[in-house]
Amino acid sequence: MPSYTVYLEQLPGMLEAWAKDHAVYVPVQTEPGFYDYAPWREDVEIAWEFDVAYNSPKRFLMPPKEELIAFDAEKYTAKATFEAPAQMVFGVHPYDVRAIAQLDQIMESGAPDQYYLRRRENTVIMALDPLRVSETAFWSTMGAGECDLGFDLYWTKIGPAAFLVRVGSARGEELLMAAGKPVKASTSERDAACRAQEAVRRVADRRGLRFPWQEVPAVLDRSWNSGLWRERSEMCLGCGSCNVVCPTCYCFDVREEMDLSMKSGTRYRTWDACMLSSFALIAGGHNFREKALERYRHRYFRKGKYIHDMVGELGCVGCGRCVRACTARIANPMEVYNALWEETR
Amino acid sequence: MSRKNFSPYVPRPATLVRKERLSDLVTLFEFAPDNGRPLAHKPGQFIQVSVFGVGEAPFSISSFPDPGNHHFEIAVRKTGTVTNALHALKEGDKAAIRGPYGSFFPIQEFVGKDTIFIAGGLGYIPLRSLLRYQLRHRDEFGRIILLVGTRNPSERIFVDRLEELAKRPDVEVHETVDVPDKDWKGNVGVVTTLLPKLTFDPDNTYVAMVGPPVMYRFVIGGCQELGISPRRIYVSLERKMKCGLGKCGHCQINGINACIDGPVFRYTDIESLQEAL
Repeated sequence: MPSYTVYLEQLPGMLEAWAKDHAVYVPVQTEPGFYDYAPWREDVEIAWEFDVAYNSPKRFLMPPKEELIAFDAEKYTAKATFEAPAQMVFGVHPYDVRAIAQLDQIMESGAPDQYYLRRRENTVIMALDPLRVSETAFWSTMGAGECDLGFDLYWTKIGPAAFLVRVGSARGEELLMAAGKPVKASTSERDAACRAQEAVRRVADRRGLRFPWQEVPAVLDRSWNSGLWRERSEMCLGCGSCNVVCPTCYCFDVREEMDLSMKSGTRYRTWDACMLSSFALIAGGHNFREKALERYRHRYFRKGKYIHDMVGELGCVGCGRCVRACTARIANPMEVYNALWEETR
Repeated sequence: MSRKNFSPYVPRPATLVRKERLSDLVTLFEFAPDNGRPLAHKPGQFIQVSVFGVGEAPFSISSFPDPGNHHFEIAVRKTGTVTNALHALKEGDKAAIRGPYGSFFPIQEFVGKDTIFIAGGLGYIPLRSLLRYQLRHRDEFGRIILLVGTRNPSERIFVDRLEELAKRPDVEVHETVDVPDKDWKGNVGVVTTLLPKLTFDPDNTYVAMVGPPVMYRFVIGGCQELGISPRRIYVSLERKMKCGLGKCGHCQINGINACIDGPVFRYTDIESLQEAL
């Protein structure tokens, strides 16, 4: 994988060039201590030291509300409505790149989801090594501290004014070449990138799973009847915040609305949440996961076992967003899996 | 159309050709797809039916696959927004369909064997597809034993057809209701109570059962007590199939999706799943 050195002073020009044919998003501070992606403009200050974006980048690939079809309710015809704007998300931490790569796999499998895949195809992912670790993160112990696919370019800050940029795709390299004149990285610059990654990983390793992540599915196999599910779910408000902020949650509802003419309309999907009490409720009133305990347990099994069965990696990348978003302070995959491991070892 | 332009969410129009009242709340709908092509479904599969402006919902296909007839039937209980809208349709009105989706009863496995159909309430609707297939190809199958349980006599569906079937020498029909009314002269009790009354060769018998969630454990237990191998018991599980494509997550049973891995399962494939039954 070729790598280049890019200087901080080159970056505004590059972003400006890329913004000509992409909607470019960068991490910014929204409030003290809170970060999120925002459209890049010349005067936007990129939050290089952001620890985690409050909302995950999944929204660029699977918007909270996405039109699927437009229908004519008189002629009873319908057609697909695809929308896939050219966009670039600059500054995606490795755990989020892992989440995207996981969504890629899931959306490609079985009946390929062209709505997702077309957006994905038109989305440039600029990975970026974190400089700080969020207080609630545990990604380094979830096998999500690094990524080798799912990005176009991978940026590592080496020193105050330079980046090592590794190429992840032909498109990434073309964009880099078209926007500036980067020089090939030297061995010492590549070493500097390794040191920078190691430094942040040492911090990240301080908290996390107390056992190898590969064992999470087996721990869950022993934990269906654990008392933990009741203890923690008793406080669950069923708000679905953990689902919404999760970079790998992709469940959706399908709804529709008519135009004012009442002759045509659109059907769309919206994010849904398995923690909402209505998630498995069917017409006629039967609820297949009626209790908060059942919904709470389902979510942790989904992240720690069912997704693993599908793609061979955990459905939780350890970003820690759900820990911060949970108003009842019960969402915490690291604590849950550690406790179950302790209980069943 | 290239693969990239394909959306499985685009439904195709179908015209309602016949409506038939089955009970106070349940109506049989016969549709003809406007493209003139049969659904090419297999017994046990389901389709998504849309009423534009109201929504889309999954329904078991109640008719049997017939290459010579592109019409198909669903039976719908009036219980939510989409089913209410369907009931409001008049013959000649349109709906939109996509599918068929999901797994199905393995017809070839049943060939030469006896089949016990166990229907609880609306479970008769999907079973009817398999039953009618077997009746159409009657020589290929052994005994056909039909156990039908309904909550009360007023909720019975397909009553005329059941009476006709009961007259046939090659079909055995046993009905029961949970709660009788003053005119009911038949069996009383849940459908499980019909099982011990049967005589059959458990080694040559398949079971196909569909009913409300509460029914399965009891009936499967009853079948096993009578010596039927769990490998020859097939169930169809209802869940909230929203996308039908294994993506939206609503119909998950533990780690599997009822919409693509089911709705029809061999019992031994799901007996270890805590959320299945």
